[in-house]
Amino acid sequence: MFSHIYIEEEISTHPRARDICARFPRAQLVPCEHYGAVFNPRSQNFRLQKHRPALILAKKHSKLLLEAPRGYGIGGEKNYYFSHLLNCLYDCRYCFLQGMYRSAHYVLFVNYEDFCMEIDAIQQAHQDNPTWFFSGYDCDSMALEPVSGFAAHFLPYFSARPDVFLELRTKSTQIRALLNRDPLANTVVAFSFTPGETHRALEHKVPGIERRLAAMARLQQSGWKLGLRFDPLIYQQNFRQQYSGLFAQLFNRLDVEQLHSVSLGPFRLPRDYFRNILQLYPDEPLYAGPLAETNGTVSYRNDLEHEITGFCTQELLNYIPESRLFSCPATA
Amino acid sequence: MINIVVAFPAEARPLAEYFRLRDKDTTGPFPVYRNAALCLTISGLGKVQSAAATAWLQGITRGQAPAGWLNIGIAGHAIHNIGDGFIAHRITDQASSRSWYPPQVHGLKLPTDNLLTVDLPETGYQNDALYDMEAAGFYPIACRSATAELVQCFKIVSDNRLQPVTGVDTGRYSDLVISRLGEIESLLDEIERMLQTPGVRYPGQEDLKLFTANWHFSQTQQHQLMRLLRRWKALAPDQSLRCRDLMKQNQAGDVLRWLENHLHALPVKLGQEPCPGISSR
Repeated sequence: MFSHIYIEEEISTHPRARDICARFPRAQLVPCEHYGAVFNPRSQNFRLQKHRPALILAKKHSKLLLEAPRGYGIGGEKNYYFSHLLNCLYDCRYCFLQGMYRSAHYVLFVNYEDFCMEIDAIQQAHQDNPTWFFSGYDCDSMALEPVSGFAAHFLPYFSARPDVFLELRTKSTQIRALLNRDPLANTVVAFSFTPGETHRALEHKVPGIERRLAAMARLQQSGWKLGLRFDPLIYQQNFRQQYSGLFAQLFNRLDVEQLHSVSLGPFRLPRDYFRNILQLYPDEPLYAGPLAETNGTVSYRNDLEHEITGFCTQELLNYIPESRLFSCPATA
Repeated sequence: MINIVVAFPAEARPLAEYFRLRDKDTTGPFPVYRNAALCLTISGLGKVQSAAATAWLQGITRGQAPAGWLNIGIAGHAIHNIGDGFIAHRITDQASSRSWYPPQVHGLKLPTDNLLTVDLPETGYQNDALYDMEAAGFYPIACRSATAELVQCFKIVSDNRLQPVTGVDTGRYSDLVISRLGEIESLLDEIERMLQTPGVRYPGQEDLKLFTANWHFSQTQQHQLMRLLRRWKALAPDQSLRCRDLMKQNQAGDVLRWLENHLHALPVKLGQEPCPGISSR
């Protein structure tokens, strides 16, 4: 899977790092002082690296948790996100990570214990408010689970803290770590979808809709709370037909009563990310479409954005009550 | 185009012969040998010379399409066999302790190793690394004009603890390079393949010539034109731009408007499938 694993000298003896290296005996181990020396240099091409990304094992020293942007959330008053992993196993052409990072290598921060201590500290500060912690903003929460053991570590931790809430966001069917244990009342496993045509065109390496749906059904049977995420909403000429079909496919199979939340958000990118992505994928029709820039954010033209968001909102309300539907703001 | 930097004429000779680099120019500070696809220069010994030769090549090839870069040379190692070839996955300048990590995203199965650039020939071989005298000069300069994936160092072991370095033996250097020509060619092919990737090579550049040859575009209009051509290539990759209606346009502004209108009419079809639109020719 990895031809090269870069490993920060500071964590070279960390048990988690050693376990991961042992899984890839044929990978070339390359010591580095700080992951940034591999990940951050300016002259790198994300698109070329995405063909054969390496793994970087590192320690996260600061900013382990960040407050979620205003407007993001699924009902909680305080929302934080954290990233044990930078970059994603999948290759979705609409993803902002392509524009945010110069490198497509995966950076795995192995000091999970420090993330947990930070969550404890934040929880102490907000004892009166339900606090949500979101994983899966800068990565897919579950896709690299067999390597990272992320869920296997964090689920027991959240199990012992019923007053704090966790969202695992994923497009993966790697659910063994969830099925192997009792479901948690304070954890939502949220799956992201785009319609089939968009999935085939833009979500490279992502498991098909049916496979994800089957994984969701198994989790639901096991008692896990699930979420559905339609973010970003992608425009195509026949988007009504596409999204109607997707919603019907999902809601016919899932027990709606057991769905924790559904959220949607328009396609949007910060201007600088958009420019970076355009350099990388000048041949991508998605970025040659009806886009416009407003206040530093690139998104669909206003009329189109309202059209697609309004349509999808109305369609979703045919299946779920308004109290369980959340919209992400249009600003990036 | 791929630019090759070597230290010695003895390393250059077999490369020039094998790749038929017949166009020779010795009038500049560094000799240059080239053909349509490759350009090779001989830097001389040491990282300063290597950096200078790399910068010189950048200067004389400036304005051309994006290029790849390859430093080929000999290196020492404590235990590796003489004649073995390695791509550098980490280059460290011993004098400054600075390290660089050339991304290994090519599909080759060639072995890779750490490479330590030293200022004086190494006979102790204390570190678990290849020893050379050029890469730390070459690499950071080459990365100023190319994305790091396209900048690689390939080293062939010339000395080890059992057969330590005893001076410059140029005859041997040629033989060592000859023994690894197959791997060098594979690496050049991989770099060339990556160079052809959209996003490394920006589409629309070829079409730009068609337009600038027929109409006068101001600098601002050229930028607008490039944006429109990129969108055209993305939305209608199968459609030729040489259609009669377009060629009838009188001025650059008319051409831009024509392109804008036709792009507006094209449907967004994801996945780069051919889409119906205007008829070409």
